[in-house]
Amino acid sequence: MPLPDRGGPLAGVRVLELTKVWAGPYAGKMLAHLGAEVIKIESATNLDEMRAYGGVDINSAPYFLSINQEILSVQVNMKTAAGLDLVKQMVAASDIVIDNIRPGAMERSKLDYESLKQIKPDIIQCSIKMWGTDGPLGYQTGYAPCFAALSGLTALVGHEGETPKGMNIRYGDSTAGACAALACIAALHHRERTGEGQFIDLSAVETMTSLVGDSLFAYSVTGEVPQPDGNFHPEMCPHGAYPCANGEWLSIAVASDAEWQSLCEVLGAADLAGDARYATLAGRLASRHALDRALGGITAAQEAGDLAERLRLAGVPAFRSQSSLDLCGDGWLWGREAYRMVSDHNNGTRPIIGPAWRMEPDAAKVETGAPLLGEHNDYVYREILGLPQDRVDDLIARKVID
Amino acid sequence: VTALAGITIVEIAERPAGEYTARLLADFGAEVIKVERPGGAPTRSMGPFKNGESTLFHYFNANKKSVVLDLADPADRATLDRLLARANGLIDDHDEAWGAARGLTSAEVAAAHPHLVHAIITPFGQGAPLEWQIARPINVINAGGWAYHSPSETPPDKPPLKGAGRFLPDYESAIDAATCVLASLHRQRKTGAGQFIDISEVEVQLNRVDCVLDRMLAGEAEPGPERTAYDMGGPGTSFACRDGHVYLFMTSKSHWKGLCELMGNPDWAQAFREDWLEFDCTRDNVVRFREHFTAWIADKEKMPITEAAQKGGVAMVPVSTAADLPQNEQFVHRGFFQKFDHPAFGEVAFPMACYKLSASPVAIRTAAPALGAHDPEVEAR
Repeated sequence: MPLPDRGGPLAGVRVLELTKVWAGPYAGKMLAHLGAEVIKIESATNLDEMRAYGGVDINSAPYFLSINQEILSVQVNMKTAAGLDLVKQMVAASDIVIDNIRPGAMERSKLDYESLKQIKPDIIQCSIKMWGTDGPLGYQTGYAPCFAALSGLTALVGHEGETPKGMNIRYGDSTAGACAALACIAALHHRERTGEGQFIDLSAVETMTSLVGDSLFAYSVTGEVPQPDGNFHPEMCPHGAYPCANGEWLSIAVASDAEWQSLCEVLGAADLAGDARYATLAGRLASRHALDRALGGITAAQEAGDLAERLRLAGVPAFRSQSSLDLCGDGWLWGREAYRMVSDHNNGTRPIIGPAWRMEPDAAKVETGAPLLGEHNDYVYREILGLPQDRVDDLIARKVID
Repeated sequence: VTALAGITIVEIAERPAGEYTARLLADFGAEVIKVERPGGAPTRSMGPFKNGESTLFHYFNANKKSVVLDLADPADRATLDRLLARANGLIDDHDEAWGAARGLTSAEVAAAHPHLVHAIITPFGQGAPLEWQIARPINVINAGGWAYHSPSETPPDKPPLKGAGRFLPDYESAIDAATCVLASLHRQRKTGAGQFIDISEVEVQLNRVDCVLDRMLAGEAEPGPERTAYDMGGPGTSFACRDGHVYLFMTSKSHWKGLCELMGNPDWAQAFREDWLEFDCTRDNVVRFREHFTAWIADKEKMPITEAAQKGGVAMVPVSTAADLPQNEQFVHRGFFQKFDHPAFGEVAFPMACYKLSASPVAIRTAAPALGAHDPEVEAR
């Protein structure tokens, strides 16, 4: 049976995924949430680790369910010649192939770009690797905090004067996946215009580097090496996170003298408002550590959410620093469908973190949760590849479809 | 050959979020016409400066054209409509009141230019309370949770951090915005029709942590007030060495074995079970390991020691600084930094994209424009 039409701007685009863990699947998710038909090649003998984390049932693994909505799953044992042949038939019916498997693995399976081009001349292939596809360090593999450290990003994140600890250890994979999705769609445009496919070589390290591009460009021009700088901002002061009651924190960003005066008024800090040291940005920056301490002394007794609201209404940008508990209970986010429900094989429905965009008209539907292993075998083998049922049965019996 | 040749994007954005969105598209070869207010874009007056020019502005606005329009002035506003009539896309990042005052709400743009792909990037998305819409990057990254949980293992008395540089959430939002715009332009090629795209910067922050936060939403992990709620545990962190810092990540018996060999199998290491990372990774053991390792690594140099580590299967890497990157052999090999003879700054190195496209590579072709440099060209259209 053909699948229901989900609409969306990438309707009609078919993507094949040979991906694992986070960065690759996240790229697939982005494209699926824009309406592409994304088929994940899986095998019981070579599972995405995300189906194993959490320890229970491979079809209800929390990590897997949290990423792979609107993804189709087809089983193929790529360690068999017949399995590889099936993958190549799928390539022939696809627009884009994304992988983030180990360096060299695609080449060993004869699924490198030159080989894929023989199968489908206008194929777009995107390979996500820690260091990209080639080069002297291309053999290395790593984990998100490693590529953030290598990239130059970690060196900029730390409390002032301390060892730069970088962003949270989870940061990095998803952004690499997002950039892969972006590049794939750019390549679709190139193909629309010229008829030509291409190879996209994506480096996860460079993804992180690109996020500090302005700092690196400034270094290239001025020669001043940027440092881990806490919450320092050369053009705003106060600028930081301030302690509040019950262990909460409040972010405040003051860009003008008028905002500074409003901040003091809301805080009832007439002494700070009248302190000549703090009257100008230059003065506040010069005394910013003392100023931060003074402000922290005032905010510490207040409730973060309430103070933030009063500051915003006075024109001072402020927002509570949200914990996981705050985020899960955030009424605005639920109300806007930042979190939404999709189908779930065990529980009927499951909340997911929906796309960060809304489109009007013709948004892609995001309603179906992550697939069971091989849930779309019939669709792929019967509908797309057009194999007769007895041939599919034979492939299952021979564990080519496993 | 560029991927987006023939595509025209009008940018009325005035923050890095929107400017970087359009820069990503310009790098792919779209013609990006940047509309600047009289006096110039706000980012022109943000530092760091050299020779009186903003490095920030020049980074986010390379490959673009500049026209000056006062969008509150009816004649200039009509000029914008003429541009939009022939453009494929419009990029904005202002609050809703700004758009309403200039006839640039989603409904007005869709009515006047039904073919147009129109994206607006705002901190909380369309429909947020007006006073929320003034949020700045540090507010966004705090509202979205990454600040609260960064760095990993931050003690409760240390403030959440804004991330790297001033604009980390802007970059993240721009990636999603550019992705959506490109997807929508693909649809425009097929149907001739436009779309409105509403990007929430905070929701981008949430989406990037899907497999951590969603498990909490779904009740599979416990959300809480802990600063460590996103952490993974284990000994991985940054350590100071002789000439900077290294980052060590370890999760397995083979990582541990490799590290012990690298260190020459010191006596203190023998006190750990060989599988302690998997089965005995207690807080005490992590602390004890870090004490010893901190002392051992302190006099090592980051490049040779991490290279030796990699060869022994240990995921230890240098914490690269801005000065390290242009000399890094892998960055050099891939040509990540594009040398460019810049009219304002002389010889510079542009950090480029993380994707190398074999048929339509991205490149800096022109420096960021002088204010209004393309007024005559646009006037003639």
